[in-house]
Amino acid sequence: MGEKALSPSGKAAPSGRTSKPPARPNAKKPAATKKPAAPRKPSAKNAAAARVAERKAAAAAAAAAAAAPREVVLDVHDLRKSYGQAVAVDSISLRVRKGSIFGFVGPNGAGKTTTLSMVSGLLRPDHGTVLIGEADIWKSPTAAKRKLGVLPDRLRLFDRLTGSQLLYYCAMLHGLDRSTARSRTDDLAGALGLDGSLDRPVRDYSVGMVKKISLAAALIHSPSLLVLDEPFESVDPVSTAQAVDLLRRFAAAGGTVVLSSHNMDLVERVCDTVAVIVEGRILASGSLDEVRGTGSLEQRFVELAGGRVAVEGLEWLTTFSV
Amino acid sequence: MVDHVLRLKLALLGSAFRPGRTLASTLGVLAIAGAVGSGLVIAALHADLSNPSHRAAAVLVPVIVSIGLVVAPLAAGLGSALEPRRFAPFPLEPRPLALALALAGIVGLPGALAVTLAISVELVWEDDPARTAAVVAGVLSVGTIILCSQVLVALAAHLAVTTTARRAITSVARATIAVALAAAAATLALAREVDSTTRDVLVSIAEGVGASPLGLLWAAPTVAAGEAVARLLGGALLVALLVALWLFVVARLLEAPQRPLPPSRDRGLGWFDLVPATPAGAIAARSLLYWTRDSRYRAVIVALPLAPVAMMIALAVAGSPLPPLWLLPLPVFALFLGWFAHNDAAYDHTALWMHVAAPLPGAADRWGRVVPPLVLGVPLILALSPLFVLWSGVDGSLPALIGISVGLLLTGLGVSSISSALAAYPAARPEAGLFDQPPTLGARAGWSQAISLLAVLALMAPSLLLAYWGLSSPEWYPVAGIAGAATGVGMLLLGIVVGGRLFRRRAPELLDLVLRT
Repeated sequence: MGEKALSPSGKAAPSGRTSKPPARPNAKKPAATKKPAAPRKPSAKNAAAARVAERKAAAAAAAAAAAAPREVVLDVHDLRKSYGQAVAVDSISLRVRKGSIFGFVGPNGAGKTTTLSMVSGLLRPDHGTVLIGEADIWKSPTAAKRKLGVLPDRLRLFDRLTGSQLLYYCAMLHGLDRSTARSRTDDLAGALGLDGSLDRPVRDYSVGMVKKISLAAALIHSPSLLVLDEPFESVDPVSTAQAVDLLRRFAAAGGTVVLSSHNMDLVERVCDTVAVIVEGRILASGSLDEVRGTGSLEQRFVELAGGRVAVEGLEWLTTFSV
Repeated sequence: MVDHVLRLKLALLGSAFRPGRTLASTLGVLAIAGAVGSGLVIAALHADLSNPSHRAAAVLVPVIVSIGLVVAPLAAGLGSALEPRRFAPFPLEPRPLALALALAGIVGLPGALAVTLAISVELVWEDDPARTAAVVAGVLSVGTIILCSQVLVALAAHLAVTTTARRAITSVARATIAVALAAAAATLALAREVDSTTRDVLVSIAEGVGASPLGLLWAAPTVAAGEAVARLLGGALLVALLVALWLFVVARLLEAPQRPLPPSRDRGLGWFDLVPATPAGAIAARSLLYWTRDSRYRAVIVALPLAPVAMMIALAVAGSPLPPLWLLPLPVFALFLGWFAHNDAAYDHTALWMHVAAPLPGAADRWGRVVPPLVLGVPLILALSPLFVLWSGVDGSLPALIGISVGLLLTGLGVSSISSALAAYPAARPEAGLFDQPPTLGARAGWSQAISLLAVLALMAPSLLLAYWGLSSPEWYPVAGIAGAATGVGMLLLGIVVGGRLFRRRAPELLDLVLRT
């Protein structure tokens, strides 16, 4: 569905796979042409073909990864966190390899946000280690955080700043210089469709716009690992497509993405590796095909999350009063 | 058309009388207007044209009151003003609308007062040959006042894009009215004086005003018949010009109701362009922005000068000798300004994550946060110290006052740098109102506040003691000043280093704290 939006150049310039920048008819997004297109990025004749090609490419990539495993960028070992009696995260271990887009899915309250907060150095775990590359985020945080871009869920921004001030601020906190900060702000604004809003205070943004500027803030220092908590929640389909495009390019160029989402369709479309977390434990993880098996990811997810509970005791709901 | 708009106007006026919060202010405004109206009539009845003072007042008071009446519609606030822009969504012809709005302008307090003013002026000139001139001048003046105020309201509503601008316009209008009423009352009071100097002054002012465009109409009865006719013709021309302007304004606003915000100037980043491109610089710029824009900080900037004032009053009432007390306000101000930052990290609320997630040196965070109090406090201390020393009459105390004040400020900031990382407590949320406090303040807040304040005083105690000795032997003053400043610099540096380390180490705990509030 969204695939059409993903590759708008597909129909206009059916030049097959190409590594040079595709000629984009859409002049509204000049920044999109600035970076070379991903070799894996499909610009096929139609959406279905694109999807097939992409799955093949993903499968090929997975196969290649199996043959010669790429380096582990994120290594989480035995992570635990409990609040009083309630165990939020119960001994989670996972490994994410370079260049992959890792989807973290689970029902509400499963511990996704808690885990991602601990991974990104915002929440201290009770037990366990998080290695970003070689650096332990809790032992040598500065080295680890330099490689890390974070988009937390439901945390405030300094929302009295304007969009461009906020991005500049983020760039400065990560030690960029003035001109780099400025030019990257412009690039990201173009790529994420924030052009017209950069001079408004962030507090006037809609929820989806806040997500977009947060994503830009997470990307501005060109991290090697992105940790995104619900990056596409309340983002419109066009912007989602733009952001997904961006993430794919990022991963193809050797970046790594960890994202959480409720949207199984989206995870299926975007991610090559997934983990299903339920009640603080990982119930399944691996490549997308391994986890979903023969059905869809959604079916597998519902199954793992306890299946559909037959709705009982709500008979009154079906007895319409006359 | 006309009756529709008039009915709307009456409904608006009626709504001011609905029981509720606005009723009290409505009654207040009515009382003021009643007082002004009856004052005008009574003054007119007592006027004696053979008295030069009274003649002068008969020109001056109407001019002054007219100025107040022209801005009066702005004083009510632009929120409910009946102005042309509001009718832009409807398919209306500009001319009938302009007429309807102008008539609606007469209905209401400013219009009623303008009519009352014209009637009072007529009463003054009733038994005088210039009576006809007064009547015509009155009618033309009412028209001028109404049209001027309508144009003003329309333009103000058009120009005031931001709430701040709107509020500024309202307050300027209210201030103008207050000044005008005071001036009119003063003129009436002066006109009763029999003293010849007062009379001469009043007469010369009235002549000046009468010769100026302001007095074009109201001074017409006082001049010779020929000139009076010329003035009245000028007045008629003025009204005609205003009518044309009003028609133009209404037509223009109906066509282009939107006034886009001016295009931003070259995507400037404000404070961010003025500071070094470092983490500490950016945090300083962001802090400055919050100190100037966030109501929680602004409240403190407003309240801080009050603490020393309250203290002065308390001490003066208690019977301390007044002049040396002038040495106290600056140090007290510096103490509280430095101490105020003791919970600064919690003020960021969950936006603090941006600092936690970045590979940021802790000291950079601390430096950035102390910049606003420094740029606010240090120049203020340096500028005001000589003044306070002068008032106190304590010779030679200048170095001590500067040194101690700067020392208190810097020590306070040093202590705050540590306490905001070590002993943070829940703060009001960024969007919270002035007096909102988080529900779970707890005992921790009290301890944190008390200990950080006591720590500043304890660290500064040696310098304060030296300064106290200075009261009996002034040679201690320079020593106290140097000691105070040195303590301040030392404690600030120490606080930033230690606070930076603590911030780095305790960042997740700080984030956890703000997440729970």
